[in-house]
Amino acid sequence: MYEMDGEEIFVIDGHVHLWDARQENIIHEGGEQFIQCFYDYHTGFTPEEKQWDIDEYRHYGADKMTEDLFGNAAADMAIFQPTYLDDFYDEGFNTTEQNAELAEEYPERFVLNGSFDPRDGEEGLRYLEHLKEEYDIPGVKLYTAEWRGESKGWRLDSDEAFEFLEKCADLGIENINAHKGPTIRPLNRDAFDVKDIDDAASSFPELNFIVNHVGLPRLDDFCWIAAQEPNVYGGLAVASAMTTNRPRKFGEIMGELLYWLGEDRVLFGSDYALWNPDWLVDQVMNAELTDEQRDEYGVELDVETMKKVMGENVAELYDIDIEEKKRQFRDDDITERFDLGAHYGGDAGAAAD
Amino acid sequence: MSGSSADPTSGAGDDPAKRQAVIERLDRVEDPELARSIVELDYIDAIEIDGGRVEVRFTLPTAWCSPAFAWMMATDARDEVEGLDWADEARIELCDHMHGAEITTGVNARDTFGETFPDADGGVAEVRAAIADKARVSTQRAAVDALLDAAVDPEQVVALDRSDVDVAGDEAHVDLGGLSVVVDADPIADYLDRVETSGHVTGPDDTLFLTPEGDPIPAERLDVVQKRSRLASVNMGGQGAVCDALHRARHGPDGPDGSGASYVDQSGGELSAYDGDVDEFTSTWTLSSDD
Repeated sequence: MYEMDGEEIFVIDGHVHLWDARQENIIHEGGEQFIQCFYDYHTGFTPEEKQWDIDEYRHYGADKMTEDLFGNAAADMAIFQPTYLDDFYDEGFNTTEQNAELAEEYPERFVLNGSFDPRDGEEGLRYLEHLKEEYDIPGVKLYTAEWRGESKGWRLDSDEAFEFLEKCADLGIENINAHKGPTIRPLNRDAFDVKDIDDAASSFPELNFIVNHVGLPRLDDFCWIAAQEPNVYGGLAVASAMTTNRPRKFGEIMGELLYWLGEDRVLFGSDYALWNPDWLVDQVMNAELTDEQRDEYGVELDVETMKKVMGENVAELYDIDIEEKKRQFRDDDITERFDLGAHYGGDAGAAAD
Repeated sequence: MSGSSADPTSGAGDDPAKRQAVIERLDRVEDPELARSIVELDYIDAIEIDGGRVEVRFTLPTAWCSPAFAWMMATDARDEVEGLDWADEARIELCDHMHGAEITTGVNARDTFGETFPDADGGVAEVRAAIADKARVSTQRAAVDALLDAAVDPEQVVALDRSDVDVAGDEAHVDLGGLSVVVDADPIADYLDRVETSGHVTGPDDTLFLTPEGDPIPAERLDVVQKRSRLASVNMGGQGAVCDALHRARHGPDGPDGSGASYVDQSGGELSAYDGDVDEFTSTWTLSSDD
C-alpha cells in the first residue's frame, strides 16, 4: 500500500506479464524483434539506474517477479495479461499456463486472465471453456495484432470475434482487455481506428472493455468512444511510464482521461516487466498536474482520484474486496516472505479498519 | 557500418550551401503521425552530395514504424530534394526498419506503394487523408481561440466562411458582416494550411470551422468541439513522446552516431548500424511494436 496525505492507497497493478523471450524459446525472427522493441520501451522510459540488462529482461522468472511486485509493497495485487505469440515463441511468450505457475502459488495476490483468438474457431471456443474450467478466468487479454500463419491480425467487431465474446458472456468472463497499439501491417486500416471497440462494447453491454495503453497513438479516438460507451475503460500502461521523462505529457493525458472518462474508468498498470512497479508506482503517485493543466481540465490527482485509479477501479472490475484483502495480507505467504506484517498492520494488531 | 566516411565526395567536401538547401527541403517533410518535421525529430542520419546527386539516409524511432508512414516520409524526402533545381537525382535509404530494403528499393525505383506491398490493405492516399484530417482537427482550436479571445461570439465563429478570413502579413482580418476584427495571423494561417490540405475548406463559400466529422458546428457545440481539438493535439504530442523515447533508446541521447553532434554539423557519411541482435534478421515481416 502506498501512503498519500495520511491515507492508505491499495495498489492493484492491472497489467503484468511473466514472459519468456530466451533465445531457445524463439522460433521466428519476429520473436527477437519483439523483445528488442520491448527493451527499447523499457530503456526509453525507465530511469537509468533502474534499467535491466537484456538477458535479465528476456527471462526474469517467477521469483524476481514476485519480489519486484511485492518486495517493497509497491503493489498489493496484480492482474496477469497473457500474450501468446505462438508463431514467434516455441512455448509461447506469456501464456495463461505460464502465468498460472505464479498465480497459483499466490492466488490471493494475483488475478489470472486468459485469452482467445477467434481465428481458432471451434477449437478456440473449447480452449476458452477449458481456461474457465481450469483457472476460473474472470477476463481475457486480446491481442488483435497477433500473427497466425498467413493472417496478420483480426478485429474485435468481426462475426468470429462476436461469437467468442458471446461465449465470454455465457461463461461469465466479463473483462475484455484489448491491446490497442501501433500500426502493424503495411498500411493497415486499423492504424487510426479503435472503432472495433466501439461496436463490440455497444453490442455487449454486459462485458467490460479495457483498452490498454488508452488507445495510444489514438487517444483522441479512444476518449471519444469511451465518452459514449460506459463499459469502456482505459488502462494506463505506457502512459504511466511517461512520468519518467515526460511528466507534463502524462499530466495532459491524465487530464484528458479524467475529463472524458471520469475517475472511475481509468486503471493503473505497469505492463511489468516493461516497467517495474517497484519504482513506477511511487513515480505515478508523485505525479502532479501543472497549474495550467488544473485550470484547463478542472481535475486533480488527489487522494480520492488516485485511490480509484491505483486500485479501486480494478477491484470493482474483478470483484476484489479491498478491506478483506488488507486483513488477509496481514499474514499471507507474501507478507511472511517479505516481512510486510507491520506494513499491513498484522503483527502489531494495530490495523484500524 | 558501410565505412562511407572514407568517401572523399561526402561530408566536408560538400558545398555548404547545397547541404543547407537539402536540409531546408527535408525540413518540409513531416512524420505524418506527429505532424512534425523529420529534421526537427532528428531522423536524418546522413546527407551526401555528389554534384547533382543527393543521398539521404534516415532512421525511424522503431523498426516497426508503420511502413505506410515510412513510405510517405521516404517519397516526400525524395520529391522535396528533387525540387531543387540543381538536384538531378535523390536517393533515399531507410535504415534499420523491418521493411527498409523494400521501401528503399521501391522509392528509388519510383515504384508505387501498391507495387512494393501488393498485399497491403489499402492505399497511401487513404492514410494521408486520415493524417491530414487529424492535423486539421488539432489546429482548429488555436484558430478558434484566437477569434474567441478577440471577442468574436461563438455564433459568429461557427458561421464564418473561408472568404470571411484574409491573412496579410502578421495579421488575419476577419470580416463579421461589415465589422472587421484583426487577430494574430499564425494560428489562422496554420489552420488554413491544414484545412486546405485535408480538402475540407477549398472554396470561398466553404464553412471555415468544422466538427471532427467534417460538419458545420452548432454554436452550442463549439465548446465540446474545441475540447476534441485539444484532445487531438494531446494525442499527437503523446505519440511524439513515445517516438522520441524509442528513438533515444535505439540511438542514445546523442543521436544516431553517438557522437553528440547533430548530423548537420557532421562531416557526413557516417552511418551507425543498430547493434542489437536484430541485425541478424533482414527478412520482411511485421508486427506490433507493443505488447
